[in-house]
Amino acid sequence: MTVHRETPKSSYMAAADTLLIVSDITRGQDAELYIAIGPNGRVTAFNGHVDLGTGIRTSLAQIVAEELCIPFEQVEMVLGATSAAPNQGATIASETIQITAVPLRLAAATARHHLLAKASARTGVALDQLLVEDGIVRASTGENWTLTFAELVAGEHVRLSINVDAALKPASAYTLVGSSRPRVDIPAKATGQWTYVHDVRVPGMLHGRVVRPPYAGFDHGDHVGNSLISIDESSVADIDGLVGVIAIGDFVGVVATREEIAIEAAKSLKVVWRDPPQRPDLNAPEAALRANPATARKLADRGNVDLALAGSAQPMDRTYVWPYQMHASIGPSCAVADYRDDGLTVWSGTQNPFPMRRDLALLLDMPEDMILVERLEAAGCYGRNCADDVTADAALLSRAVKAPVRVQLSREQEHAWEPKGAAQIMDVRGGLDLEGGPSAYDFETRYPSNLAPTLPLILTGKVPPVSDVVQMGDRTAIPPYAYGNLRVTVHDMPPIARASWFRGVSAMPNTFAHECYVDELAAAAGVDPIEYRLRYLADPRAVDLVKALAERAKWVPHTKWGTLGGEGDLLYGRGFAYAVYIHGPFPGKAAAWAAWVADVAVNTKTGEIAVTKVTCAQDSGMMINPDGVRHQIHGNIIQSTSRVLKEKVEFSSTAVTSKEWGGYSLITFPEVPDIDVLMVPRQDEPPLGVGESASVPSASAIANAVYDATGIRFRELPLTPELVLAALNGNKNEPSPAAPAKKRGWWKFGLSAAGAVAAVSGIVTMSSPWRSAIATIPRPDTNVYSAATIERGRLAAAAGACNVCHVGPDGTPFAGGRRFDTPFGAVYATNITPDMENGIGAWSYPAFERAMREGVSRDGHHLYPAHPYTSFAGAEDADLQALYAYMMTQTPVAEQAPETALKFPYNIRSMMAGWNALFLKNEPFRYTETRTAEWNRGAYLVETLGHCSACHTERNALGAEKSGQARLSGGFADGWEAPALNSLAKGPVGWTADAFYDYLRTGHSRDHGSAAGPMAHVVEVMQPLPDTDIRAMATYLASLNDGNAPEAIAAQKEAAIAASETAKAEAARVSPKGERIFNGACATCHQGNTVLSSLALNSNLHAETPDNILQVILNGVEAPAILAETTGREAPEVMSMPAFRETLNETQIKDLAAYLRARFAPDKAAWTDTSSAMQRVVSSAH
Amino acid sequence: MTPVSVSLTVNDAVRRVDAKPETPLLYILRNDLALNGPKYGCGLGECGACAVLVDNRPVRSCTVPLGAVGTRRVTTLEGLAVDGVPHPVQRAFIEEAAAQCGYCLNGMIIAIVGLLARNSDPSENDIREALRHHLCRCGTHMEILAAARRAVSYARTDRDAAPAPVDKTEVSP
Repeated sequence: MTVHRETPKSSYMAAADTLLIVSDITRGQDAELYIAIGPNGRVTAFNGHVDLGTGIRTSLAQIVAEELCIPFEQVEMVLGATSAAPNQGATIASETIQITAVPLRLAAATARHHLLAKASARTGVALDQLLVEDGIVRASTGENWTLTFAELVAGEHVRLSINVDAALKPASAYTLVGSSRPRVDIPAKATGQWTYVHDVRVPGMLHGRVVRPPYAGFDHGDHVGNSLISIDESSVADIDGLVGVIAIGDFVGVVATREEIAIEAAKSLKVVWRDPPQRPDLNAPEAALRANPATARKLADRGNVDLALAGSAQPMDRTYVWPYQMHASIGPSCAVADYRDDGLTVWSGTQNPFPMRRDLALLLDMPEDMILVERLEAAGCYGRNCADDVTADAALLSRAVKAPVRVQLSREQEHAWEPKGAAQIMDVRGGLDLEGGPSAYDFETRYPSNLAPTLPLILTGKVPPVSDVVQMGDRTAIPPYAYGNLRVTVHDMPPIARASWFRGVSAMPNTFAHECYVDELAAAAGVDPIEYRLRYLADPRAVDLVKALAERAKWVPHTKWGTLGGEGDLLYGRGFAYAVYIHGPFPGKAAAWAAWVADVAVNTKTGEIAVTKVTCAQDSGMMINPDGVRHQIHGNIIQSTSRVLKEKVEFSSTAVTSKEWGGYSLITFPEVPDIDVLMVPRQDEPPLGVGESASVPSASAIANAVYDATGIRFRELPLTPELVLAALNGNKNEPSPAAPAKKRGWWKFGLSAAGAVAAVSGIVTMSSPWRSAIATIPRPDTNVYSAATIERGRLAAAAGACNVCHVGPDGTPFAGGRRFDTPFGAVYATNITPDMENGIGAWSYPAFERAMREGVSRDGHHLYPAHPYTSFAGAEDADLQALYAYMMTQTPVAEQAPETALKFPYNIRSMMAGWNALFLKNEPFRYTETRTAEWNRGAYLVETLGHCSACHTERNALGAEKSGQARLSGGFADGWEAPALNSLAKGPVGWTADAFYDYLRTGHSRDHGSAAGPMAHVVEVMQPLPDTDIRAMATYLASLNDGNAPEAIAAQKEAAIAASETAKAEAARVSPKGERIFNGACATCHQGNTVLSSLALNSNLHAETPDNILQVILNGVEAPAILAETTGREAPEVMSMPAFRETLNETQIKDLAAYLRARFAPDKAAWTDTSSAMQRVVSSAH
Repeated sequence: MTPVSVSLTVNDAVRRVDAKPETPLLYILRNDLALNGPKYGCGLGECGACAVLVDNRPVRSCTVPLGAVGTRRVTTLEGLAVDGVPHPVQRAFIEEAAAQCGYCLNGMIIAIVGLLARNSDPSENDIREALRHHLCRCGTHMEILAAARRAVSYARTDRDAAPAPVDKTEVSP
């Protein structure tokens, strides 16, 4: 068990031999605790802020150790636990070092002064003659005594208020602060010993999952908390280990004994919701933000803006658009809650332990002091993700089942529901005056609010789902330049999508506008961009920083774009931007100053922008831990580059649709720029927040660099290849050419029912529709069959793959009940176990043989040709007899399979007599003497028992296998395309006997792909067949394919793979979103992987319809190793392909399919029927 | 499917668990064997947070069904250390402080261990490609790349320090 509990404040308050520094001793037990020094000299320091991955645990410990003059290792930080730490609000706005560390430092100074005073009193040495170093006090006069802090603390409990006037150590005396102490947490994190909130295990803990409503990512409106229509608990009734289903308003959750059972239950639970309301289009958010009701708030108005605008020599009005983005934590939020009558404990990754406790109290009608929040680290969030939501989820589920519950959100839930970083629109009206100076700067910014309520509060209806307006669009809204005529207006507005603060909140977008605009002014004025800025930059530290960066980056002044030229398809450019991040309520406080020089290469053919290098200068004031600061700068640069180039949340008309890393992609290692950081030494200045500053100039620096390369100004993000290409091509992309007509599945032929009746009834008269019943018999005594016969029958059943179709719904062999959708209606496989009533136990061999060869049931009714009797007709008597014997040895199953009931007129079974007259050739298989015995054995198995043609041959309008060239030339089965087995196979690589053997034996062929869907079952049930039989089938099938010499195969492979590489750029152009999904979701296994072969070889990508590709995307594919294992063979791939049914929506899957086709089958026409194929595939699932 | 009793070789120990064969290995490692190294990130094999080694090859344990593991050897972040001494790759990551929140760290380390198992002297490009499908939100890429380069240098030193193979034909009788 990994139960993490901080020692509560009350224990420190009650401890003997302890020195405590608290907020105010007159508040008694309610005073907030900052420092505790125990009798062993260990120092515990408390801070209400939490470590979000930035390393403040280490930096704060440095501050405390420095001020106390003790070794760094002697300090332990307690962060955010409500039981012990002071309430210092949410960890936001880069405030920890700048603001919340202040009382901590004073507390440490208070403690030091107290201990020194005590030492003075004890030794009689004057205070000014005492030295303290490494926690040991001695006299500067050289007397022979020392006192440790432990000795000074021992013997009494002392509690002091923080002395706000305590003399602080001068910065010049610092030894620990300003040094790069290694982070205290990394060794444990690198070895799996660290306890994240995800790793908490409590005795008796159950696992919960939540089921969220369909309005994913929206949290206001009347429907919120009010959309649940019904829950069908019977849909999960058969899940062993399910403990409970909980629903309160729109809050729905399940609890189970094991995590995977909770996942299964959440997926299986049938919940009916009201349709969510339509939302404005947030993919292009400008219109929606302009239409959102807003209150204008003027932040600055100086000079005479209107007059200056009217008099502009060169007016320039610009609009900048920032998209919705997400925090995108790598670990979806997780929490554990233990609800008991005497109180609630939650283990949470929250950014706001104290505000969240208030929410939990409200949610549960429980006093706050009965709630304990243990705060543990989670995945980096850089703002507020779902950590609070999931904590409340866990509390509700724990209360319902009266046991500790761990709730882990799914990737899809975190993506969809995390409160997003809001979209933002910035308008600038201005221009140049006659001297080339800025005539006016009229800046307006629109920022939808971000106070997303904790989700369960509104889902349960505890809090009304109304949207509060918060004034947070004003961060860094004032431009840093001394514009004489300046007006700044922020339009405060309610949220549209669910939103919260995200790194560089509103400042990053505002600076995108400020710094792109000033760059445009410089270009219009014909002045170097840095020189132009310096003309209007008054702040001396800013000026120093900009100049230092220009020197470091070897900036070459220039007045025109294109000076860096290019090579091949690449154009090079350099851009500059500067910002001081102003955070907190307006007018706010400044965090660190930061400036960027970004170098880019723009590919004019693909539209891709590579940020090749970022040179960044930052003035952070005093740096507590310079390495920590450097890492924060690196992190900001990489994360913000990702946001600028790649990141944008996509929406449908009702919900967020970006639900995994293909739909919302992040920067990857090969794309990471080189980074050069210049940290301006300012150790004599107060420390400034460094958690966000270096992100702020990113967008403008990169956009300015792209302008420098291309001469095109981009004013919306992200800078995707399609956006860049469209601009480069003047937005004249031609639509891709239409593809030729498609092949249709056999059931798709639009033969009218009347026509079918006519066609069939015309034949009825020619043959006898009525067949007699064959009398029942007592169930045969299986002792009469020899073991050899039964074994032969077992192999015949394997060759015939009987159990693929006749398997029972719960996996019981031969029990029947599987449903097959045909154009004539649903056909159900029958029970073929030897049960007397429901199976074939009362069938004599002649009845069995007639059914097998002629398609007539024992009682005389005709079977439909879903039962492949046309193939079995040619089987040897000995095989059918053995099969009969084997079937009679099976365990009878007393379950009746559902009755097949076709639509009129197909329900007239007697019409099958006519059908049989046309299509049934009841004659034995003919061996070909000129062929080898192996070939003949293979042909026999393929053509009779194996009935490969039943799926791999197209059917005619009457559902009969076509003959002649169509034979084994491909068909459809059970929602899957069964590809051609002969030379008409569409894959780029010919089939050889070895390839067929591998495929049939292990379910996988390196040159063609893996068996999935029904074929995977076929491979599985053929497992008992000896290798010689599989080899024989392979030999026969290979003979249907034109000679495929090994050299030819190798050349075909090479060509196909080379073509897919060449097609990369074109495929990305055809389907840019598909490319991103492929790179994010698929490429990890399907590109550069040494185990799976290239998708360029996969038959399904070369097929005429995308059905099989859609099947595998929607439903996944089992690991090749699983299939191989059933055949007693090894396959190296142990990973299964996950199902993306719940993750990608139809549009995304279509984009992906289009990309896959263009990339991996570039010589084939684009699929044009993906929509109808999608319908076929989705409806084939049952 | 119904639960089965399966024995697994994890970090050189044989462990027995009862679970459905389709259960992702990740949940078995975390919940049944209390191994916290592999982390749940996406359940789709996209992000790499759950990476483990199966027969020394990095795989995403969220997409490995329990039933596919068979007799293969599973190694997690916890199993890399020998006698409590961190693996050289772990050491390199600690020395370069290659973590911010550290949630992705497991996958990064496993990926580099896997890379070195198949390529003892990888180039910068090899390193970046090996990490291509490992996502980090904190932007720790610079430090992770530095750690990977350091790990490569350790591997190189180890290799150079190893005694040269003895050619028996040259050994005089």
